[in-house]
Amino acid sequence: MSLRTFIFGLSAGFGVAWLAVVVVPFIKMRNLAPIELSEATDGATGIFFPKRAGRIADGAQVYAENGCYLCHTQLVRPTYAGNDLYRPDWGGLKADPDRGDTRRETNAYDFLGEKFAQIGVSRVGPDLSNLGRRVENQYAAGGDPSKWLFAHLYNPRQDPQRWKSTCPPHKFLFDKHRVTGSPSVNALPFGKHGDTELVPSSEAKALVSYLLSLKKDQAVPAVLNFAPAKTKTAP
Amino acid sequence: MSSVIQTSTDQDALLRAGIDRSLRHPVMFFLTSGAAWLAVSIVLGIIASAKVHSPEFLAGFPCLSYGRVFPAHINALVYGWGFQAAFAVIIWMMARLSRKECTAAGLILTAGHVWNLGVILGLVGILSGNGTGMPWMEFPAFTWPVLLFSYFSILIWSFIQFRVRPEGHVYISQWYLLAAMVWFPWVFITANTLLHCIHGHPVMAAGINAWYKSAVIFLFFTPVALGTAYYLAPKVTGHPVYSYSLAKLGFWSLAVIAPWAGMQKLTGAPIPYFLPYVGAAATVLLFVPAIAASINLLRTTLASPEVVASSPALRFTIAGIGGLILLAFSAVVLNLPESTLPLAQFSLSGYGFEILALYGFFSFVMFGAVYFIVPRVTRREWLSRRLIKIHFLFSVYGIITVALVALFGGLQQGIGQEDWQQPWQGAATRAYPYAVATTIAWCFILFSNVFFFIHLTLMWLRLGRRSSHPTLLISAHGHGPGPHGEEGDIDNAGPGHMPAH
Repeated sequence: MSLRTFIFGLSAGFGVAWLAVVVVPFIKMRNLAPIELSEATDGATGIFFPKRAGRIADGAQVYAENGCYLCHTQLVRPTYAGNDLYRPDWGGLKADPDRGDTRRETNAYDFLGEKFAQIGVSRVGPDLSNLGRRVENQYAAGGDPSKWLFAHLYNPRQDPQRWKSTCPPHKFLFDKHRVTGSPSVNALPFGKHGDTELVPSSEAKALVSYLLSLKKDQAVPAVLNFAPAKTKTAP
Repeated sequence: MSSVIQTSTDQDALLRAGIDRSLRHPVMFFLTSGAAWLAVSIVLGIIASAKVHSPEFLAGFPCLSYGRVFPAHINALVYGWGFQAAFAVIIWMMARLSRKECTAAGLILTAGHVWNLGVILGLVGILSGNGTGMPWMEFPAFTWPVLLFSYFSILIWSFIQFRVRPEGHVYISQWYLLAAMVWFPWVFITANTLLHCIHGHPVMAAGINAWYKSAVIFLFFTPVALGTAYYLAPKVTGHPVYSYSLAKLGFWSLAVIAPWAGMQKLTGAPIPYFLPYVGAAATVLLFVPAIAASINLLRTTLASPEVVASSPALRFTIAGIGGLILLAFSAVVLNLPESTLPLAQFSLSGYGFEILALYGFFSFVMFGAVYFIVPRVTRREWLSRRLIKIHFLFSVYGIITVALVALFGGLQQGIGQEDWQQPWQGAATRAYPYAVATTIAWCFILFSNVFFFIHLTLMWLRLGRRSSHPTLLISAHGHGPGPHGEEGDIDNAGPGHMPAH
């Protein structure tokens, strides 16, 4: 076998797979065809374009730089690939006060505004796809969700119920400030010592804004909706 | 007639000595700095692993927070140790097998320093909080052209040596090494351009990242390790490779199957439906090339058990092949869609699989090569049999613990994760003891590699034994020639004065 044949064999063996699993899917997914809403099934017309509010790009960068993806995923798998959808608050809320059961699987539009989807490596901690909704409705019910997240990032074991958590503390995302005048709005409730207080840095604010934007439960058009038809509740 | 043969063996010995001398400093530079990075990586690994079960450990240092120290650990292991060990072995074996002295040692050495600079900058980037957040590609984006450039400057010479070699047989080792040399830049350029330079869909970007991880393992580290094992096994035992057709099957099945693997880590993610399943199928099928090569190498070596018992090079290589067999089985066990894949996808077992590939298989074969190559390039013998034994035993115990913990612990954790009727805390509780065990296992591995690093540095300083008796694991005094040849000639490659290759 000559070197030329050998190199050709190597390139062919590798190249076919390279085209089929990397290059072509990459190009195909660069421009997803827009989904047209239909009046009959979606109750609206136009193009499906989910919106996300918050400091997505900044916050995603802080999320990446501090390795959150090592222990937290952002993927609610369909039922053929795992049981994520059955958990009551991962893919939406089982009992959303306004919309009922909002649970659904992750779709390609959920990562809008991010450069790299932090699907995640392992689940040492829970999935974060729907963290924003979870904080607002459960963890910080009635309170300020961003304050709850600031306190949680500062010390994940502050809440006695979470003493077993192995989440690393991120105290370096907070600055110690002297209080001059009235205390800062975002100051941590437990960080007050004499005339100093603990306030979140700009990075912490970006991260919390990003985390609160994680609400992957908005209604999707019928073509993306794989949930079983809702059974009518008895009158 | 016999005098003609004598002259040709003398010329061979001279040629080999010339090749070894021409490569002494590049090879020793890559091996020593690689071993130093290995020690650094293991220290970072212990810190990271301890934080999994004791999150307040060293919590005061931002640069040592888990989310930074873990990527630093894995990237130091891959780019600091793995690639540099591979460089040393590739440049040395390609020169020996092509029968050409290296004429670019200075350039290779310079490029090697550039590579190390890239690794240092990358790690400082990660630890200072500037990582990219893409697994195994966490080095800040500016480092990848630096690494790519020094990669080419280091390995292009081996390719040229192969082109201008005297006509002759192409050895199995050369197939594997050439393949690795061609595949890696292709994989590396693809992944880095698509993730850093061209704007694509974020989920597909994550898919390409998963493919990159798998491709680095199976299209670079695996062929380099197999090429090395196919060199060492016949060389040290003095027997030809057991089956040439089995070797061909092993090589071409790897070439055809491995590039499809990797995306099973995204099962259930919104990417084209076939990608994760093709990835899972390919990873399971990697059983074929792994077992073909393992059987071939074991049949070659185990024909002479006394050599395996006494040669450090062969003992480490065979342990590496054992790691490959375990890797092949776990590739099957962890990637069955509908049964184990949902459990393994986001559990400890992913890390365990990577460590098994990087350390249990690749690094062990590299250690085997180190114990073979270093006495030849430094013309000194290893100082101490006991140091080699410590290195072997503690590494083996450590890696077996990591592998078993990852396999069983990962599946246990996965069962907890999938049990949606129980609170999430259950999965974490199941994983806890395994995390503690991993920390302890890493301490064993650190212990073994500190001794390895010291031993290797002493060898580079040419403080090895000035002796013509190779350091064997079993004393061979008065028992005829040892596996490295007759006493009195450390450049002898094996019994019977085989020609240089």
